[in-house]
Amino acid sequence: MPVQYLANLSLYVPELVVVATMMGVLFLESTYRENEKNHHFVFFLTLFGLLVAAVSVVANFTVLPTEFFTHSLIHDSFGNLSKLLMIFGTMASVYLSYQSREIDQDLKSEFSAIALGVLVGGMLLSSAHNMLTLYLGVETLSVLSYALAAMRKNDEKSAEAGLKYVLYGGVTAGLMLFGISHIFGALGTIQFTEIKLALEKVDGAKLAILIPSFLLFFAGIGYKIACVPFHMWSPDVYEGSPTPVTAFFSLVPKVAGVAALVRVTFSFFTVNVLLNHTWIALLSTIAALTLTIGNVTAIGQRSVKRMLAFSSISHVGMIILGVLVTSDEGLRSVMFYLISYLFMTIVAFYIVALVSEQYGNDYFERFNGLASRYPLMAILLTMVMFSLSGVPPLSGFVAKFNIFAVVIEKRYYVLALFAALNSVVSLYYYLKIVRLMIFKEAESSEEIRGFGFVNQALISICSVPVVLLGIYWERVLMWAQGAKLFVP
Amino acid sequence: MINLYSYLGLSFVMFLSGIIVLVARKNIIAMLLGIELVLNAAGINFIAYTRFSNANLDGHIFTLFIIVVAAAEAAVGLAIAIRFFQIKETIHIDDAVTLQG
Repeated sequence: MPVQYLANLSLYVPELVVVATMMGVLFLESTYRENEKNHHFVFFLTLFGLLVAAVSVVANFTVLPTEFFTHSLIHDSFGNLSKLLMIFGTMASVYLSYQSREIDQDLKSEFSAIALGVLVGGMLLSSAHNMLTLYLGVETLSVLSYALAAMRKNDEKSAEAGLKYVLYGGVTAGLMLFGISHIFGALGTIQFTEIKLALEKVDGAKLAILIPSFLLFFAGIGYKIACVPFHMWSPDVYEGSPTPVTAFFSLVPKVAGVAALVRVTFSFFTVNVLLNHTWIALLSTIAALTLTIGNVTAIGQRSVKRMLAFSSISHVGMIILGVLVTSDEGLRSVMFYLISYLFMTIVAFYIVALVSEQYGNDYFERFNGLASRYPLMAILLTMVMFSLSGVPPLSGFVAKFNIFAVVIEKRYYVLALFAALNSVVSLYYYLKIVRLMIFKEAESSEEIRGFGFVNQALISICSVPVVLLGIYWERVLMWAQGAKLFVP
Repeated sequence: MINLYSYLGLSFVMFLSGIIVLVARKNIIAMLLGIELVLNAAGINFIAYTRFSNANLDGHIFTLFIIVVAAAEAAVGLAIAIRFFQIKETIHIDDAVTLQG
């Protein structure tokens, strides 16, 4: 047994690398706090650690799916891919924080340390294979995120964002835990595989306990991905946090939450017919509401970050549509959606961060006349906005199209109609920013300090996949076709 | 006589009072206490189910983790509440209205 533990440790290397990097950052931060050069060193250490973690995730791709650590974690391609996406998301946000003047200089290494901690939580969540690791993943993710949201210590908005995050997070974690405790009571186990076996032969009396428990259980995951009844925190937290933190929140916890949702759906709700129908009914209602409320509320916003928050809520609605068809094609479309969402979000937040930093706020008017002053940036932001709303040659379109395809294949026509109408609505608010950039006069002619050569080049590199994924999407999907993606 | 249902009843009452505190009270400290009640209700459930229905120790281990996580959450929550108090000089949730759409 102990030998097997050690052998399995190789599957856990990415997490260990991230933890080691986090401890290194903390050590450097506390030891050499006064040294100015230290900040650069912390930054490079973080990026290096993340790079090593990414490489070790890729190296594990070829290992066949296995459960390890007494069945509490699982290793499969789906989990690996979400880990990879989260690592890239963290890299981008750490780079943004390094650039940002919104975060105090001496807090930057703290940002790196906490972000790495959140990443570990996310990685745990995306490979969780029993209720305990799932709960610990959610909590590691949440507790550290609260601290991130309240990062700017003397800022009223930041403190308020943190406070709202703590209260919402605490309540939903409690609800989820209460649900888990009754699931444990009814089925007598917390292992996913055993729960699945027990669910196959469950009777009416137990279902009466299980269905409300699973509803409570959904609260925890629903809050992490910010779908409708639990979305209230998201716009406030997005607006109040510093922009790098906002970018981080819309990448890492979201991918982790979606991974957990997929795993839970495929593990528990494919065996029992009644449970399956209840879950799909729940998810379709939530998806429709999430899409509609996200898009309609986004229209009236004044702050771009808040608009992006609502837009990310509506994207989650699309992703839930891909999850609820519970098929391999659905899973592939969700994965593709996550990949394209990652790159679109990085570019959008990168540009918004640089602009809002210059002016001290992120209202729509700050983007007036950007096209005449920084044509490249304006073109890229326009492209990303088109891609987010799903206009043809770009990756956002392909991602949405794949989801539509699986939804229609399952004959959920009403849901497909909902999603299509919402795409049209979303075009309105995404194009608002494009209109302001092109047709309005600039408010001032001062240079935006952030748009140096390096940043412009990096933004361009990050937006290349937005185009390429839109053109060569078939190859990506073909590549995913071969792999056994997912073991429930 | 004390059986499984006594414990489940107790935990349900705790859960409900936690939710009621969260909805009805406007004081941030009280709301954090409400969260603790909800978490501990789940803890009682785990212990009771392990004691009365099955022999494996998963429930006990889960409860230990719940206690640890609740402590961590309370620490971060109180730290943020103190920050909020130092900036706004109030711990009333109705004063957290800077961020609105």
